[in-house]
Amino acid sequence: MEFRDSPWTRLDKDLSGCRLALITTGGVHLRRQLPFDMTDPDGDPTFREIPSDASPSDMVITHNYYDHSDADKDINILLPIERVLDLKQAGDIGHVNHRHFSFMGHILHHHLDTLIEDTAPKVATALKSDNVDIAILTPA
Amino acid sequence: MGLIQRSIEDQGIATISISLSKEITGKVRPPRAVFFGSFLGHPVSYPGQVAHQLCVLRFLLKYLKEIPTPGTIIDIDAAVVDNCAAAAAGS
Repeated sequence: MEFRDSPWTRLDKDLSGCRLALITTGGVHLRRQLPFDMTDPDGDPTFREIPSDASPSDMVITHNYYDHSDADKDINILLPIERVLDLKQAGDIGHVNHRHFSFMGHILHHHLDTLIEDTAPKVATALKSDNVDIAILTPA
Repeated sequence: MGLIQRSIEDQGIATISISLSKEITGKVRPPRAVFFGSFLGHPVSYPGQVAHQLCVLRFLLKYLKEIPTPGTIIDIDAAVVDNCAAAAAGS
């Protein structure tokens, strides 16, 4: 999929006053949540909500298309959930949003339509309703 | 990932992503991206390397604020992140 232009939101606010959320496509989810579907070769366009106070020990990765053995040891290399709290503590940002979001980044064919028309806009709307100012996205 | 980023930016939230492939990122054209030369599965450094992880995030915040043109991909050499982490460790 190719685009000729990019959407753009100008950031006028100081970072020290901004609310930040993380989004990963690394297949991270809580142990109690439904794993991403690895049986569909076209992937799984759904998402999981990750509370910002979740412990790394509560998180697992379901994604068979990359080696996540290092991320299994330290989730921060994929979803830097503890590091953004460090940034908040240091004053680099104003707030960490109460929730982050995770997708599984192997989405093909008809599932792309679901991602573009349904699940990605739902996450975007949720972040907007949380008054999130800035988002960092990490791939797998 | 760029498709999700585009959707979030469309909602009025300023976004930045880590690119693992400048070629793919260039096609999807998210508003802002940084290429650190990271390996698959390691977008934010390696396990336990807290200073490196923080440096990666601080570079992302810096360029989130500074990138002036939609569709920009910033290229940062791994040595720059190493130097940042070393400086943080020495401070």
